[in-house]
Amino acid sequence: MIGRFRKTLGLIWPHFLRRDDEYLNPYFRFTDYRKIWGLGIFALVVAALLPLVAATSIHYRLIQKSVDSEIILRTERVASNARRAVTFFLEEHLNALRFTVSEIGYDQLTDPDHLAEILRNLKLGFGGLTDLSVIAHTGAQVAYAGPFNLEDRDYSNQRWFIECQKHHFYVSEIFRGYRDVPHIIIAVKSLWPNGSFFILRATLDTDRLIQTLSSYETGAHAEIFLINQSGIVQTSSKHHGEIFEKMSLPIPAYSLRTQVALAEDDQDGQKESLIVGYAYISTQIADTPFILMVIKHKAGMIKVWRRLRSNFNWFVLLDIIAILIVMPGACTFIVNILYLSDQQKAKTLALAEQNNQLASIGHLAAGVAHEINNPLALINETAGYVKDLFVFKKQFHQDEELIGYIDDILDAVERCGTITRQLLGFARKFEVKIQKVSLKEIISDVLVFHNKEAAYRNIQVHVEVPEDMPAIETDRGKLQQILMNLVNNAFQAVDNGCILDIKAAPAGADKVRIAIGDNGCGMPEETLPKIFEPFFTTKEGSKGTGLGLAITYGLVKKLGGEITVISKVDEGTTFTITLPTRILKEISENEGSTG
Amino acid sequence: MKQYHLLIVDDEKRFADMLAKRLSLRGCHCDVCYNGQQALDLIRQKDFFLILLDLHLPDIYGTEVLKRIKAISAQTPVVILTGHGTAEDRRACMQQGAYAFWHKPLGIEQLMVILARVREESA
Repeated sequence: MIGRFRKTLGLIWPHFLRRDDEYLNPYFRFTDYRKIWGLGIFALVVAALLPLVAATSIHYRLIQKSVDSEIILRTERVASNARRAVTFFLEEHLNALRFTVSEIGYDQLTDPDHLAEILRNLKLGFGGLTDLSVIAHTGAQVAYAGPFNLEDRDYSNQRWFIECQKHHFYVSEIFRGYRDVPHIIIAVKSLWPNGSFFILRATLDTDRLIQTLSSYETGAHAEIFLINQSGIVQTSSKHHGEIFEKMSLPIPAYSLRTQVALAEDDQDGQKESLIVGYAYISTQIADTPFILMVIKHKAGMIKVWRRLRSNFNWFVLLDIIAILIVMPGACTFIVNILYLSDQQKAKTLALAEQNNQLASIGHLAAGVAHEINNPLALINETAGYVKDLFVFKKQFHQDEELIGYIDDILDAVERCGTITRQLLGFARKFEVKIQKVSLKEIISDVLVFHNKEAAYRNIQVHVEVPEDMPAIETDRGKLQQILMNLVNNAFQAVDNGCILDIKAAPAGADKVRIAIGDNGCGMPEETLPKIFEPFFTTKEGSKGTGLGLAITYGLVKKLGGEITVISKVDEGTTFTITLPTRILKEISENEGSTG
Repeated sequence: MKQYHLLIVDDEKRFADMLAKRLSLRGCHCDVCYNGQQALDLIRQKDFFLILLDLHLPDIYGTEVLKRIKAISAQTPVVILTGHGTAEDRRACMQQGAYAFWHKPLGIEQLMVILARVREESA
């Protein structure tokens, strides 16, 4: 579980931030992975966020616009319908008076009973009338029908009388009048042939008008009311002034048509957006003082949309957070893959180059070794012969100094020979030739060369190979060299009378293990990691070339195996080689045969 | 002590002579040839206990000489002693029945060990 978590984390962990492989830089395709990473994240995040933010803001604008125009359209429709209703209400009553005046003569109208009869009929037909009165051209009221006793009043100085006299028709504002009840006066003038006139006047109830208006009110956020042209509220409004008070909003500019405008209302220090629809009410036969106001509170109207937008904002925010997590993660993952595969490639390249260099050195070394071997052989035989002469012919055999010199020459030749053989072995380590090899046989072959030394130094060599140990398929020469090197090493490491153990055993189904252990001087722990490095030697003076174990290591690797070492100072050293019983893949011999 | 008859085939005259002398001191009788043809002629005439053969001979290459020696006298052990042997040479020689393959310089003691082994095996 934890392992899997670590593995997953490893995929998106930016391994390239803390690099310890700068030495491989020449082999890397890219070097600045931080920059690639940063740019990648930036590009991905911008590419993902920009369209999202742009689309969201464009979307908001469009919705805002369409919501605004929808509200305006609806307001306009309501205002226009309400205007028609108010106009119709007033026109209807004016026309009723007009009809009455032209149909019924002055005499009948001035008859109080008859007038009361007409009032009753009009009430039945149209409703909303409170009283009727006839006023003579002098301004004196000549007849009255209605609930109040207002006879013999003189209206000659009143505004409505003067206006009606001028324009033939009159519609008053809503006012309280003598009775302290809101009402409207409408009046129609009738001319005599002699140029004189009389006026029929009616008082209208405002209840029906208010009812008509309120029937157009839709929802809690809209209100419809009337004002007069000086801005005095005529039918009560909830938010913009009581009846007969000044309206809190400015008076809209005159227009023949129904208009809608956006306005701001400052209520209790809080600004509120309003949609104001209005229409100047004018009947066909007379102008009226009324302006119809339709006020809608924008905040209330777009509440639903606001809630939707807030939800949408949350969604966008989550989306942005997801992008900010996923994009850097994805980018890290990709750059990681790039980096790791590049690193792998760089390592392979570096190793290949190192191998190439080693192979070149091998070629050179092999050439040198060859050329040196022949003169070396001559020196060997000549010096050997001189020694033979001394010893066999007993001429100088007692001259230890002379014999010593010759032995020095022979030793030196021996060492040179060892070095050239190792150099040739180093050059040859790149080829693999596979054949069946019996471990028992090969071990005893190797030991042949040491029998004499073992006997001489009283070193016991124990070989333990199971009888049924199967033959393995490997490169005989290389395995021989490996064993030879290790046995040589062991012989050099032990004192006289020590023990050498050589054990071979199967290790699993397809591997064998060969352990070569001694109870010699051992090695300190700190040198163990270095012993397979070329030219590393612990042997005193000039006894070792430092190539033996490096070559051995290379050979074991070439055979597809592993070599490990366990050592303790003064207790001994054990080298363990694990080899596959079959080398499945033949290593290509691109190095050529240089041996 | 029985005289062992050896043949040394090597184009390095001084080396061959010197080795012959040293082996003589150790109780071996040695013939020396400096080229392949000479050696083959000699082998047709005499039986040798062991033949030491170089590869780089002026007339015939060592592996070919070995092949012909084996054709003449298959049971005679041939030890290859060369300064220039490649892995290919080694493989070819071992396939054609060389007794051993050694690089120069070879200590006289090691040579004596080989002789002793041959002696044991032939006894």
